[in-house]
Amino acid sequence: MIQYAAILLMMIGLYGLLTNRNVVKIIVSLNILEIGLNIFIISIGFVYDGIAPIITSTNNSSALVFVDPLPQALVLTAIVIGVGTTALGLAIVKSIYAKYKTLEIDEVEEN
Amino acid sequence: MSAVLLIAIPLLAAFLSILSKKLAPVLLLLVTAANIVLLFFVPSGIVVIGGFDLPYGINLFFDTYAKISLLVVNSLFLVVTLLNISEHKKMSSILLVSLAGLNGLLLTGDLFNLFVFLEVAGIAAYLITTTNKKPLSTFNYLVIGSVGSIFYLFGLMILYGMFGTLNLMDMVYAIKNSSVAYSSLLLPFFFMFVGLGVEAKLLPFNAWVKGILKHSNTLSGPMIASVYAATISFVFGRLITNLFQFEGKLLLVVTVLLIAGVVIGEAMAFASTKAREILLFSSISQACITILLFVNGIIIWAVYLVIANALSKLVLYLVVNKAAKQTESDDVEALQGLFVKNILVGIAFTVAALSVMGLPLFVGFVVKLNYLTNLALMDQFIVVALILIASIVEGIYFVRLLVKLWFKGNNEIDVKFDVSYKLVFAVVTLLIVVFGTYTKPLENFDNGIDTVQDQIEVIYNG
Repeated sequence: MIQYAAILLMMIGLYGLLTNRNVVKIIVSLNILEIGLNIFIISIGFVYDGIAPIITSTNNSSALVFVDPLPQALVLTAIVIGVGTTALGLAIVKSIYAKYKTLEIDEVEEN
Repeated sequence: MSAVLLIAIPLLAAFLSILSKKLAPVLLLLVTAANIVLLFFVPSGIVVIGGFDLPYGINLFFDTYAKISLLVVNSLFLVVTLLNISEHKKMSSILLVSLAGLNGLLLTGDLFNLFVFLEVAGIAAYLITTTNKKPLSTFNYLVIGSVGSIFYLFGLMILYGMFGTLNLMDMVYAIKNSSVAYSSLLLPFFFMFVGLGVEAKLLPFNAWVKGILKHSNTLSGPMIASVYAATISFVFGRLITNLFQFEGKLLLVVTVLLIAGVVIGEAMAFASTKAREILLFSSISQACITILLFVNGIIIWAVYLVIANALSKLVLYLVVNKAAKQTESDDVEALQGLFVKNILVGIAFTVAALSVMGLPLFVGFVVKLNYLTNLALMDQFIVVALILIASIVEGIYFVRLLVKLWFKGNNEIDVKFDVSYKLVFAVVTLLIVVFGTYTKPLENFDNGIDTVQDQIEVIYNG
């Protein structure tokens, strides 16, 4: 079920990317798309009735059902990359504003 | 010597270069040159990282395919860096990160790791394109590139959900030995193809290319159109050959998309009156042909086509961008008579253009003849016919461009090319002519340069 929510978020992000003409809103849409993907990745590792994949004194049997820890590790990397891209995107937005004094794509002409 | 050093050294140097801005350019050149030397001492095989055996840990895969691609990419990177380092000293750290990312892309045997390197190389590419001083084009590139990476990761995660692995070899083995129908793989493969297609400039995912290459300079132009394009083509080739293995309807859709890219690219180049636009549309068309060859399993000639194009595009973009910078226009009319006073540069440009067109005596001809023969042997006559028609269009616009650049117009233009540029042009011209007339070295390799399937046999079947 959570995967539907993730895909819905991704669709909202894509819709935002395709319809917005403001560079900041485009960055926000990109982030929504990324968050949707991150939730999707997390959902891949979900196991019904699974416990946290940490071996403790009480949870030390291989017969126990653990959730898949790998997607959690992957999503951490994806989040870091997403933050880096967003930071760079915002820096470029700043230079767009400094050069053209607007954040609307339609008002900028780069020939 | 381990292949890890090819990624670790540039990355370490990138951090060190921040400490001393004066030493950064020296460090960049030293590391790039050292990487090329190092390539000859790295033994072939799988490099396991952190002691986690395949498929649990990240691994690098260094075979003949990786060696050729690394040699080409690192050499081109060194040439572009050498020519631009005095003008773009501030980019040293970014170029080192870029080198680490590109080497990682070519070496990694892990599909998630490939996404990470795609983003590392991508972020470096966005920063390199900021030198164009067209922030909106860079912004478009960043957004489209990020969406491409997200699509690739989305496709990969669907595959992970189905097969429980991220390792390329393990994934290929799992797909081959599973009962999952090929139709179930269409969606993840399509997303991954689209994701990589953005960076590979495939139609219709290449909306960023025009803004970036149209305003490119002597650093960003050759770097994106030659170095990055070659890297992504090699990566794409590896995945298409081993993982995707298109068949049925997906093969038909991909072939139609690629052929449309070839034809539309050439038509757009034909309609253009600006030198950089002509080159960028030609690049799109050539990228589509390369991927088409990989899709059809003609690996070796696809690899040679990538190398031939990378060499030719290096010269073409350097000449046009240098001239455009001094004349402040890349309009073909404005550049008329460019070679009247630059005969040597003109010869290099002409040889590179004729090689892209596929005329005899140049390496482009040998490559084109062989891949068309291979396609014809596979009964792909419609594809051959369409490529030939596109070649005629290509011939017309390149000859038209060459005539304009060689013959004097109303305005006299005087563009100065440094000795270093002329040296690079001479070496590339020599390579294009030598391998165009003496083809024996090209016969040393065949489609077996990619050994992923052989390794899978060794690992899983003893």
